[in-house]
Formats: sequence, structure tokens, C-alpha cells
Amino acid sequence: MAGLLFNAAFGFYAVGLFHSVVAFVSKRDVFVRIAVISVGIAFAFHTAFLIFSGFEKGSFPLTGLREGLAIFAWVVSLCFLIAYSRYRIKVLGIFFLPLVAAMMLSTVFIKASPIPDILRSSWVYLHTSLMFLAYGMFFGTFIAGLFYLLQERELKSKKPRTFYDQLPSLRTLDDLFLKFLIAGFTFMTLGLIVGIIWAEQNWLNGWLKDPKVIAAMATWGIYLALLYVRLTLGWRGRSVALLGMLGFCSVLFSFLGVAFFGGQHVFR
Amino acid sequence: MELTLVGLNHKTAPIDLREEIAFAEAALPCALQTLRSEFGFGEALIISTCNRVEILADDSRTRTSSDQIAAFLSHYHGVDLSKFDSHLYFYRKDDLVRHVFRVASSLDSMVPGEAQILGQLKQAYSAAQDAGTIGKLLSRLIPHAFYVAKRVRRETQIGNSCVSVSSVAVELARKIFGELEGQEILLLGAGKMSELAARSLMKAGASRIRVANRTHQKAIEVASTFGGDVARFDELEESMAQSDIIIVSTGADKHIVDRTLVETVLRRRKFSPIFIIDISVPRNVSPEVNEIENAFLYDIDDLQSVVSSHLQERSQEAELGEDIVGYEVTNFARICEGVTVGPLVKSFRQKLESICLEELGKDEKGFTVEDREKVERLFLRAAHRIAHPLIREMKKGDENPNRQFHNLEMIKKAFNLKDPK
Repeated sequence: MAGLLFNAAFGFYAVGLFHSVVAFVSKRDVFVRIAVISVGIAFAFHTAFLIFSGFEKGSFPLTGLREGLAIFAWVVSLCFLIAYSRYRIKVLGIFFLPLVAAMMLSTVFIKASPIPDILRSSWVYLHTSLMFLAYGMFFGTFIAGLFYLLQERELKSKKPRTFYDQLPSLRTLDDLFLKFLIAGFTFMTLGLIVGIIWAEQNWLNGWLKDPKVIAAMATWGIYLALLYVRLTLGWRGRSVALLGMLGFCSVLFSFLGVAFFGGQHVFR
Repeated sequence: MELTLVGLNHKTAPIDLREEIAFAEAALPCALQTLRSEFGFGEALIISTCNRVEILADDSRTRTSSDQIAAFLSHYHGVDLSKFDSHLYFYRKDDLVRHVFRVASSLDSMVPGEAQILGQLKQAYSAAQDAGTIGKLLSRLIPHAFYVAKRVRRETQIGNSCVSVSSVAVELARKIFGELEGQEILLLGAGKMSELAARSLMKAGASRIRVANRTHQKAIEVASTFGGDVARFDELEESMAQSDIIIVSTGADKHIVDRTLVETVLRRRKFSPIFIIDISVPRNVSPEVNEIENAFLYDIDDLQSVVSSHLQERSQEAELGEDIVGYEVTNFARICEGVTVGPLVKSFRQKLESICLEELGKDEKGFTVEDREKVERLFLRAAHRIAHPLIREMKKGDENPNRQFHNLEMIKKAFNLKDPK
């Protein structure tokens, strides 16, 4: 049953991705609508899949890399649906959906891992959920920053072309960027607090030296700095967008790269 | 019976000639009446805009109809035929259908994709309807042309881009600021083009305008036409910091807005973006300004090049439109040939009746003559009641003529009806 739900979700994501690409190439809005509807259906199947596989395992499905990717894909498509319903950006699909599809596909090739007993705790589940929500939002920040750079370049070049028509105004993109940033930062802060409380109680040998903790702290620092320059100093535009994209690279590094350095957070 | 078209447009005739031949809107009923009573046309339609004058009429007297129309133009306007004869074009049959579809879809317009022509055609059609000069032929052709025009507009991007300097300025401002509500404009200097741009921006929602001019009196004059305020020309930094969109055209022969000034202004604005439109020739804003983050500078050449790239896009989309028109011309011919609703309805009724009688004939042995007549009447009444809603739908037609055609084709096929000819 879980497999069936997964396939249905994956299939509809693929349909959505395909139609986003067609919409971008042909510039016909009807394909955008088809794409969004497909993603909506896929998202429903995806949600059902996560719930179902959670019941099947008898635990929150969020500890191995496999489950992690499935959840991350879910959060990213949630971000897509929210951002589209609010801002109606036509090219959103070709940026969000390849990531979703790739993550869904990669879970097929990764073996499910048993959960170590020590991690069977609602603190851990809460920590990981919050972190994934944060990472999904930061992906939104990354995309909004990228869109800002593209649109700014089109406007500065004085020969507005490919993206000019399909992207919203710089102000809208700035607004989108800031909203994702604030949401992501809030989730991450909460997630880190929960993680630290749990680690203080259960993790005996120096959690502060865990590479993933260090990377996450660095990421958090980058986003804190970003919020400071954006809200307090009032920076705007290219530099802020670039910093937001840098922040997401740091997210990717702490999510995947750190696996090579060992520590308690390595996916098994 | 067929239609014929005689006309001239911006490509074939100079403007003064078009003006002489044009019909004022109020004169249309009278002109249509003249065509009908004095020239004997049963159907007629006059399209008269600033770019074209065209007359569509029935071709009942074969070859002479188009000459009659030309004679009417000469007679009605009191212009000698030889003066405009060589500028006229004549269309019949498929070429006529194609031409009318192209006109309605704005593919034949001076600026392809402009939206006015469809409205003008609709007015012309309703004027002709009021004058009673719309018959079978025009009532089929013109609604189909409306349909084609809508299709072209929907399926191509022909009408989607701005093709004037001020509309491009508005569009660019929207791409920077989103909605223009709450945006403030500073008009530096004066000039026809810059005032036009400012007016478009105000119309698009910008909330406030300030005017600064070297001559204070001039600033007051211009500000009063906009209902705006006057800003001091020597406090440029102050007024620029308060404005989001700055239109410059001072007639000075040097840069009066340079990099340092804009950088200072942006710092005072907390880096909120600023859009500078430099309409002056020679330029009054240093081109370096565009390199500053959050400052967007367009000079008149930049705006012009956006306009011309949009025009180019339109002509590409126009090719798509031509394909649609070509397809619809064939379709229209098919529809005219294949479907005349009346005979089809008749043969549909006959078919139903013959089915009833056939079924009755199979099992009429036990009936007395009276019984048989009664049953036959009952059968036929039931058949007519069943057919009635279908026939109503067949006659009603559809906004989409192709769909109506297919519906009729389906009925023909389902009941195995012969082509009524």
C-alpha cells in the first residue's frame, strides 16, 4: 500500500514537472494550471504515503536518509504550493519540481535503515521535523533569491527577455524572500533549541563537537546575519539575494556533506 | 449567392484619401440605407476606422457588384472615382473570408495585435443589424470572424506586449515596484514625452507627483496640470530621496544626475529601489548610474529598443495568428458547404417518422383501422417530442461555429442522414 501511494505521488510529481517545462517553453498558462493541479494531487498522495508508512513502521518516519529525503521532498512541494497560491509565479515549477522529483527518485535507491533505540524519542522527531521544515523554507529563500537575481539582470540589461514576462516584480520577490527567510529561521531556531535540550540529556560525549551540529550552527549564523542586514540595516537587492543563496549552500552542506565527517548525525 | 468586399487601408492609401472616404459613425445608418435602396444590395456592412474603409456586400449581380460599391463610395462622398480607384482592393470567396478574419484578428492592423479593431467591427455589425442589412451570408461570416479573433487573441501572445514608450515605462515600473499604488514620481524638467510618461504612470496608480524645473514658474504650470506639487530644483537630493520614479528631461547639455548623487540618494532611501527614466537628448543622467545596485536607469533609446523588440515579438506571434486564420478559412468553407440547418432538420424529422412507421408496420396485424391511425398518431407525437429539444439545439447555434458544425455532423452520422443538397 505504501509503495502504491509512493508511486502515485511520484507519478503526479513527474506529470507536474513535465507540464511546468512545457508551460515554460510554450508560454501557455493552461499548462501551468495542469502542473499545479498535478502537484496538488501528488502532495495528497505523498502525505498519505508518509502517514501510512509511519503507521507501518510504528514510528515517526524520519530518521534515515531515505525517510529524510521523502520528508524533505514533501516540505519542498508544500513550499511550492504555498508560494504559488500566494504569488502565482509561473516559472516556480521548473525550479521547485526537479528537486522534488530527484529526491523522490533517490529514495528508491537508498535502503531503509532501522532506527537506533536511542533515537526513538519524540524530542528527536520534533527536532528533525522542525529542521526539515526550516530547510524547505530556506530552499524557498534560495529560489526567491535566484529569481531576484534573474529579474534584476533582465531589468539592468535593458533587453528584458525570457524571465521578464514570467517572473513577478522585484518587490514581490523581495517580499517572498523575506517571508521564507523569517519562516525558515524561526523553524531552525526552534529545531536547534529542541535538539540541544535533547542532546544535553541523552548525549554523553560532547555534542558540540559533532560536525553536523557545527555546520548547522554556522548555517544558523549566516541566516542570523542575513536577517540583521536585511531588517536592521535595510540592505536590499543583489547582495542580500546572494547571501540567501550562500545560506542554502550551507544548508546543503550540513544536510549531505557532513555525512563524510562522521558523528552522531550520520545517516545509516 | 456570395459576398464581395471593396476597400482601402493604411497600406494602399494615404491618410488624406482615407479621411475623404471615411464614414462617421453617425452617418452609417444612412449610408447603409443608400446601399440598400439606391444600389439594391440585400446585405451590406461598412467598416470605417482611421486606418481602413471597407464595404462588404452581397454579390447578387455577379461581376458588377464591386463596381457598384466603388460607385457608391464615389457617389456618397462626392469624390471622383478616378481619384481613389487605384487604391482600392477587391476580394471574393476564400480571399474575402481570409481578409475579414485577418482584419478582425488585428493581423492586418498598422500595429498588429491592437485591440480596438474588434470593437470597431462589432459596432459596424450592430449598425448594419439595426439598418437591416445583415442577411444569411453576413450573419454567418461576421460572428465567425469574431470567434476567430478571440481564438487568435487567446492562443497567441499577440496582444500581450506594450508597444509605446509610455506603456513600456509603466510596465518596467511594475516589474520593479509591483503595484504602483503609493509610488511617488519626480518630474525633472518638462517636455511632451516626459509628461506623457508621467501621465501614464499616474493613470497606472502612482499616488503623487512632484515637479522640479530650473524655471520655477514653469514648474508651477506643469504641476498644476497634474495636480501635483512643486519641488525646488536646487534641492535635488532631497526630492530624489522621496521619489521612487524619476523622469528626467531638462534640456541641459550635461549630466545633472551622476553616480555619486544616486548613491547618496539610495543610502538615504535605505536602498529602496529607484527607477530613473532619462528622456532628455543629450542625456542628463550619467549611464554609470545603471551599475549601482537597486538603481535602474533607462534612457530614451533603451525604451525604444524595448518597444521594437516587443513589435518584433508581435510579428512572430502574428505568424501563429495567420496559421489559425488559415485553418479557420478552410473550416468556414466546410461549414458553409456542409451545414444548412433547415434541410437537415427536415430530413431528421423525416427519418424519425419513417422509423416510427417501419416499427408500426412490423406489428400492425391485430389493429383495426381506427386503432392503427391512433397508434400512428401517438408514435409520431412521441417522436416529435423527443426530437424537439434536439432540433432546438441544432437551430440555436453556438458561439463556437466549429462546435455547432461538429454537433450537426454528429447527428447526421448518428441517424445516417443524407447530405441535404
